[in-house]
Amino acid sequence: MRRLPVYLLLDTSGSMRGEPIQAVNVGLRAMISALRQDPHALESVWVSIITFNRSADVLMPLTPVDLLQLPDIVAPESGVTHMGLGMETLIEQVRHEVTRNSADRKGDWAPLLFVMTDGSPSDIAAYQDAIPVVKGLGFGNIVGCAAGPKAKLSYLLELTPTVVSLDTMDSASFGQFFSWVSAAVARGNRSQGLSAAVDLPPPPPELQVVT
Amino acid sequence: MTVIKLTSQDGKPVEFVPTLIGQGGMKDVYFSPDHTYVVAFYRDKLDHASNERLQAIVGSFRDGIFNRAGGDYWQNLFRWPTGIVEWGGRTGITVPTYQSHFFFEHGSKNDDMLKIKGREKEGKWFSSASNRNSFLDPRELGTWLSYFRICILISRAVRRLHAAGLAHSDLSYKNVLVDPAGRNACIIDIDGLVVPGKYPPDVVGTPDFIAPEVMATSRLAKADPKRFLPSITTDRHALAVLIYMYLLYRHPLRGGKVHDQDPARDEELGMGERALFVEHPTDASNRIRLDQVKKSALPWADAARLPFTLTGPLLAPLFKRAFIDGLHTPSARPTADDWEFALVRTVDLMQPCQNHTCQAKWYVFDNTVKPTCPFCGTAYRGLLPVLNLYSSRKAGTYTPDNHRVMVYDGQSLFPWHVNRNVFPNEKLSGDQTRRVGYFRLHQGIWYLVNERLPDMKDLTTGKAVPPNSHVDLVEGKRLLLSTEEGGRVIQVQMVVG
Repeated sequence: MRRLPVYLLLDTSGSMRGEPIQAVNVGLRAMISALRQDPHALESVWVSIITFNRSADVLMPLTPVDLLQLPDIVAPESGVTHMGLGMETLIEQVRHEVTRNSADRKGDWAPLLFVMTDGSPSDIAAYQDAIPVVKGLGFGNIVGCAAGPKAKLSYLLELTPTVVSLDTMDSASFGQFFSWVSAAVARGNRSQGLSAAVDLPPPPPELQVVT
Repeated sequence: MTVIKLTSQDGKPVEFVPTLIGQGGMKDVYFSPDHTYVVAFYRDKLDHASNERLQAIVGSFRDGIFNRAGGDYWQNLFRWPTGIVEWGGRTGITVPTYQSHFFFEHGSKNDDMLKIKGREKEGKWFSSASNRNSFLDPRELGTWLSYFRICILISRAVRRLHAAGLAHSDLSYKNVLVDPAGRNACIIDIDGLVVPGKYPPDVVGTPDFIAPEVMATSRLAKADPKRFLPSITTDRHALAVLIYMYLLYRHPLRGGKVHDQDPARDEELGMGERALFVEHPTDASNRIRLDQVKKSALPWADAARLPFTLTGPLLAPLFKRAFIDGLHTPSARPTADDWEFALVRTVDLMQPCQNHTCQAKWYVFDNTVKPTCPFCGTAYRGLLPVLNLYSSRKAGTYTPDNHRVMVYDGQSLFPWHVNRNVFPNEKLSGDQTRRVGYFRLHQGIWYLVNERLPDMKDLTTGKAVPPNSHVDLVEGKRLLLSTEEGGRVIQVQMVVG
């Protein structure tokens, strides 16, 4: 049984403190329950959560969705957004957690990556250095999420053409985002159209797809 | 509560509450105020052909199946669209709501830890060994016999579609609701029906169920003559996969063989041009590797321990045709009719397991070896009557029907056991579906109790066995069940367990 690894790279810098980080926690919990309620996702999806602010932390190494105990995510009082450092940690994790096909053993499905930020990287050089490496990791899909008015789309667009933006950072917006993420993750066993392209589900109206 | 009021194309009032309750691959779904039906709107504008197809589905196809003698039978097996509406430039269809038994009553273990109570019983829950073992409340699972009934209903429904020249085109455990506890099944998402030469498909199907030839040619342009699209023969592949998965809780083509380093390409090859049955008798390269499966997928993932042949002498040849001969030769695949017949006949070979803690609770006994439950290993203890059925094709002579019935305590004798010309399907009237007698084990002796067979006679003793009397079953006894055309004689064989 192949695993579908799902990486969530989340901005927990100072500006996320308060309602936004609460909304992320609520949204994540709803996402995990939705995945558990999908019989296909339940037996294949593994989730990892990496957060970044001044430092980058593997909040949750790759864990099967049925065993996942979601810790409370907190944001510091203030501080920088070391998104480049977050990406470096992600690269590290993907390299040792995701199993590739070998000659006699099936590996994992191509992993999925969701990157959410409400600002822009403070370590631009590190971020831009990490981009080609991340792109080379064989992700099936990379989705950027620009949360709130201060999020800089341009940086996310360097990483992936698929960027959604949330106008506000309240629980409704994050709820919509994470429920869309769970729909995208559970997409594997849906009817497939005649064109071969991997398609994401249509975003709900509150999510603006930038490209 | 806001309610939107519309009129369907055929002039019926349609109402819905504009709160989204679900999103399918192509549609947004809303409830009617009384929840008796849903209205599903296509997100994209439909082209001319799709519009015409919908007209036919709610019109002539629907009439052809439902509005004729026996049409009511199909109401339970299909959630068939009933009307077409337009709203804000979008096209929608009305579809009856799923019956309540298709929603989880108990859900998952540990006081419904997954919170799935009230959600749809999507087939995937029940066809996956690990979901069954780890998560579902045992009260939701039914017994192995429940899945025979479910597979019979699905085969029958598919047979009906095919008989009308229609292909479902996207059969999968997502589009078939099942209720193992109550032994029900229902085909949904019927709006994608394919009519060969008239309405082409707009999906290739759902992973796990896409036929190898469709998968192998999916990169070709839609109009390329070499491209295979969903059709009646690809439905047959999907049906065989569904039946295999509901009876054996594993996928027939998902084994350990690696075809490519890239998982997407590996999938395409493994489900497409290089698809190979995990239980292929001579090519062992795609066996399920037990060191690579979850513990919770056992014992079902262990195909050596639970091979497909345990489904009995009628179904095993069909699985061979579907996954060996017909895997890459669509014309060789068993039809829905073949499956329905074999499943119905196999039910006559079922024995309840004498181990009360056995999870499967039933198994097929094919009379070749000593009766033993293959699932828990419990051997049958005692005498087991096997009835060999004969019928007359020429006055005075009886020839074997190649039809056996394995008797168990409390089993019913039905009109289709009594007469060769009766087969249990949607055409039987109410009286023909009721039992005519039953079997009892009483103080160590097996009896057949006659309830409604006027002509029954013990040919060994020459005595009549009128209704409301009984006869004991012993080795070699011959019983005439009916003197009508096609009426049968049973010859009793006693197997020692």
